Amino acid sequence: MDITESAVGDVKVATLKGRLDTATAAAAETRIIAMLEGGAKVVADLAEVHYVSSAGLRVLLKAAKQAKAAGGAFALAAPQPPVREVLEISGFDKILGVHASAAAAAAALA
Amino acid sequence: MPLTMPEEILLLMLDDESGRLQERAAPSGDYALAGAVIAELALAGRIDTDTQRLYVTDGTPTGDALQDAALAKIIAAGTESHDSRYWIEAIAAEAEPMRDALFDRLVARGILNRVEGRFLWVFPERRYPVIDDREEREVKARIMGVLFRDEIPDPRDCLLIGLCRAAGLFALLLSSQELDRVQSRIDQVADLEELNRALTAAIREIYAQIARFAPMV
Repeated sequence: MDITESAVGDVKVATLKGRLDTATAAAAETRIIAMLEGGAKVVADLAEVHYVSSAGLRVLLKAAKQAKAAGGAFALAAPQPPVREVLEISGFDKILGVHASAAAAAAALA
Repeated sequence: MPLTMPEEILLLMLDDESGRLQERAAPSGDYALAGAVIAELALAGRIDTDTQRLYVTDGTPTGDALQDAALAKIIAAGTESHDSRYWIEAIAAEAEPMRDALFDRLVARGILNRVEGRFLWVFPERRYPVIDDREEREVKARIMGVLFRDEIPDPRDCLLIGLCRAAGLFALLLSSQELDRVQSRIDQVADLEELNRALTAAIREIYAQIARFAPMV
C-alpha cells in the first residue's frame, strides 16, 4: 500500500492508497506507529482507500491505542462510503474521530 | 509458551468442581471454540474477513494442529465464497474432537489432571481457572482492565472478550451488578471485531431454533 506523509500545522497526515488488509497491514502499522512516536498527532487520510478488512481495522485500533499510550492523538479522515459503513457497523467511529477531510481532522486534533 | 485462545476459552468454560464443562456454556460453547480457532488464524495472518466473507490470505500451516485443520478445511472450499458465520458453524461441527485434543494438550502441559473422565485443575485453589499463576492473573487483569477502564483494547483482547461473551462466561466471571455496569462496554469492545458479530448472529440462531422447538408449557 502506498503511504505518503505530509503535515497540516503540527498534525501529521498519513495518506493511504489502495487496500488496507492482511497484505498491507504490517507495513501500514509500522509506518503509522512510527509517526505516532513521541506523542505526535496523526491523521490517517482514507480518501483513496477502497477496502478495509478486519485486519485493516486492527491496524487502526492499534494506532488508536498507541496514540493514547504515547499521549498523542489519532483520527481518520475522508473514508469512502463502503469503508465508512464498516466503521459505523463495527463502532470504530465511537472510539476514533472520523472526519470529512484531512484538514477537518487536523483542525479537530490541533 | 502462552496459551492460545482455544485453550484459554476451554479453561474458562471448565467448571472447577465437577471437572466438566459448564452446562451454561453449551450449546454456544462449540461456536465460541470454533471462533477461537478462527481468531487465532486471523491474528496469524492466515485468514481475513470483511462483512461479506472470510478468505484465506496465507495457506502456510501455523504448526498448531487445530488451527491447521481448520485452515485446511477453509482452503478446501476453494473458490466458494463464505462468510465468517458459515465457517464458525462448519468448524464448530468438529467441536468434540477439538475439545478432546485441547484437553490432551492441557493435561500434557501440566495444567489439568485427567481423573476418572473429568478434568481437574492441577492447582485448583482459585475460583477462576489457574492457567498458571502469572498467566491467569494477566489474562483476567487484562480483560477487567479493558472492561472497567477506558483503555483502548488491543485486537487479541477484543477477540477474547467476544469469545467469553459468546460462551456466556461473563455471567460467571462477574457479579450481576458488575455485569450490568459493563455489559455495554463488553458489547462495544466485542463488536469491534467482525468475527464476534458473526458469532453473536450464529448463536442467536441456535437459541431461536431451540425456542422454536421448545415444548409449549
